[in-house]
Amino acid sequence: MEDAAAPARRRSDRARAVPLLAIAALGVCALAFDLTLPLRLPGDADHAEAAAALRVRAGPRDAVQLWPPWAERARMFIRTLPVRTEEDLRAADYPGVERLWLLAMPRAPFARLSRARAGLRERGAIAGEEMRFGGLSLQPWDLRGPRVLSFLTDPREEHEIDYVPRQCMQVRIGPPPDPGTLEARGLGGVLHVRAGIVGERAYQVARGPVRVEVQVDGAPLATLTVPPTVPPEPGWRRIEVAAPSGEHAFAFRVSARDADRPFCLAAWTTAP
Amino acid sequence: MTRRLPLALAALTFAALFATQSGVGFVRDEGYYFEAARSYEQWVLLLLRAPAAALRDTGRYWSLNFEHPGLAKLLFALSHLVFTTWLGWLPDALAFRLPAFAFGALLTYWLAMLAAQRSRPAAVFAPALFWGAERTFFHGHLACFDVPICALTAGVGVAWARAIGILESSPSTVTPPSTLPSTPTPPRRSLFFGFLFGCALAVKHNAWLLPAVLLVHALLLPAELRRRALRTLPWLLLGPIVLFAAWPLLWHDPVRHLSDWVSFHAHHVHYAWYYFGRELRGPPFPIFYPLVLLALVLPLPQVTLFAAAGAKLLWDFAHRALSPLRLLELGLAGAAILPFMLRTTPIFGGIKHWLAFVALLAPEAAHLLAGAAGLASQAGLPRARALGIAAAAALLPGLWQIAHVHPYGTSAYGELAGGVPGAASLGMQRQYWSNNVTAVLPWLNAHAPRGARVFFHEVNPESYRAYQQAGMLRADIQYASGPWDAQYAALQWHREFRDREPETWNAFGTRTPATGFYLDETPQVVVYARPGLPGAP
Repeated sequence: MEDAAAPARRRSDRARAVPLLAIAALGVCALAFDLTLPLRLPGDADHAEAAAALRVRAGPRDAVQLWPPWAERARMFIRTLPVRTEEDLRAADYPGVERLWLLAMPRAPFARLSRARAGLRERGAIAGEEMRFGGLSLQPWDLRGPRVLSFLTDPREEHEIDYVPRQCMQVRIGPPPDPGTLEARGLGGVLHVRAGIVGERAYQVARGPVRVEVQVDGAPLATLTVPPTVPPEPGWRRIEVAAPSGEHAFAFRVSARDADRPFCLAAWTTAP
Repeated sequence: MTRRLPLALAALTFAALFATQSGVGFVRDEGYYFEAARSYEQWVLLLLRAPAAALRDTGRYWSLNFEHPGLAKLLFALSHLVFTTWLGWLPDALAFRLPAFAFGALLTYWLAMLAAQRSRPAAVFAPALFWGAERTFFHGHLACFDVPICALTAGVGVAWARAIGILESSPSTVTPPSTLPSTPTPPRRSLFFGFLFGCALAVKHNAWLLPAVLLVHALLLPAELRRRALRTLPWLLLGPIVLFAAWPLLWHDPVRHLSDWVSFHAHHVHYAWYYFGRELRGPPFPIFYPLVLLALVLPLPQVTLFAAAGAKLLWDFAHRALSPLRLLELGLAGAAILPFMLRTTPIFGGIKHWLAFVALLAPEAAHLLAGAAGLASQAGLPRARALGIAAAAALLPGLWQIAHVHPYGTSAYGELAGGVPGAASLGMQRQYWSNNVTAVLPWLNAHAPRGARVFFHEVNPESYRAYQQAGMLRADIQYASGPWDAQYAALQWHREFRDREPETWNAFGTRTPATGFYLDETPQVVVYARPGLPGAP
């Protein structure tokens, strides 16, 4: 016959199994995550389908933005459109791009696709219909940016600044008396200038700033100073300035005391 | 305790490392150590042929890689001399790596010895918990110093414990201080302890901290044990003698060479290191960096068990409930990681510099795991089944990680990081060194035309030559110094080298990779080919 303390003893006995149960639960959770991870990521077929959709639907003023920005395996599949890997979609420049296709892996761990979408919304972009290809999501965004009047630098050349590939042209830095110069002709409007020091030398603080003097038809218009990058300050510096309308000769004169650094510059004008 | 179980586990470790080494690429450091070992091998041959000349010319052969002492590289050299040069049994790289596998086996042996003081299952669990993660398993394969110094840290601990009489040869019986045998410790144990410390000193500078740990340990022991420990400490003086004997570079002008060695590490460069979206370039580093990194790279069960082990040891220390042996483990583990929490010590290299922290927590973690199984068996679960459940829960995620990621160990991340893609989203270092390039070598061998020039990025010329000697890379493929000079480029994805990819696009006129190695979608190695060349998209 069972004594009065028996139920308490049984409970106590069962409690002894709790540590092992906890370890087992931990192991099961870990293994469940590991084994299901590949199911949350896209396969070759998903990439191929997304690329095919882009081939059919995208136009000449479209570009693709990858999300998370590290998801660059898509470059192997997308050959018809420029691929961008900007990290801050609210502030990123997409000059000349009317529609941006956000190609994302929504189920990748810590992908935070909502952050990307919020960034696009904050800049005034309008979302289109989302398509799904297995582990990939593809969504067009109408950027509603200003119309580009002239590219003053070649957007096909790219260099890394702040660890992001930027459409910019490498310009020699000269000493102050003999600055490196980039010249271009284009239409006036709102002049956008971006510049930064390429690679790890951007972070060498002892080297001092780089000065970019902008001239229009030989007259000074603006100056952009690019200091060594000290995060969280950006290394990709920017100015917007009004330039007189009509066609003009633009010159960008780049100088610094320490000239031994690769330097990159982008400039374009948009309608006011 | 008979040593049969630790020896069997050690043999198993050696066999596992040997069987899984073929895909492990030659990490940057290995390239230097291979070259150094080749030079030392020449010196050994000279020593056999003309001893006087060898003794005279130590500087010529040994100044290569002066910044690390000679023992590990001498063992790599001797292994190569015997198994490749003389017997012709093994390829070059495998022969160099053989001593590293032996150190891995020794680590298993010593961990099992320490854990066996708690229980027999703990003796099995301790090395399994240490090796059951891709990061630690990967490092066991390399002809480097990280696992050797980790093993020797554990070995010095075991030798010290035996020399002062707190670790005996019977299982599950930690001798309480009051019952210590009054007979003095046999001198051979002290001699072996001093010798092992010398070996540690002659492998890597992490050993500089060991005397301080052992002194503090001795001072915290009960009176009788303390006296014995303090009497044993002077055997550490054997260390410099072993260091001197094992490092012929010191045989001429030792003060200068010792000064160069110390100075190199006292002023070590800080490599950029990607951590939660920030490139860490110099001090002050985040204080909990090493602990956070361990939590992110190890499988979740190990993270939990090691954390519990550390907490339990600290708790018992605070409550004066630590046995002398557990106190020693806590001290050695702490000394392995604390220097990297000073905020000024270089932190690059993932977890490799503080592997001994993980290792020395393993016996306690194993004890907790075995204890959980033991408690469950008291609740009515058959003991064998309880142990099986414990082993499966604790080790299967790690085994999966190894099966999934190996041999790309520097890229491995655990469940807390969200695996490899989660870590990429969090902004963690994607990989380090350049060993992942092995994944694209077969493609290059198949597609690159004869004499093609390839930019191998972070693969240094020493490793490039090693790949060719190992037959992993075609002998006619040439080493290019940059994309402008190359027909193909194999870029290893590192945040701090991000500029290399746009540079390659501009040089090659294409942004479409020809192939690549992507681990769970994350780019690891991306290969570009100039348009028109075989394999180009």
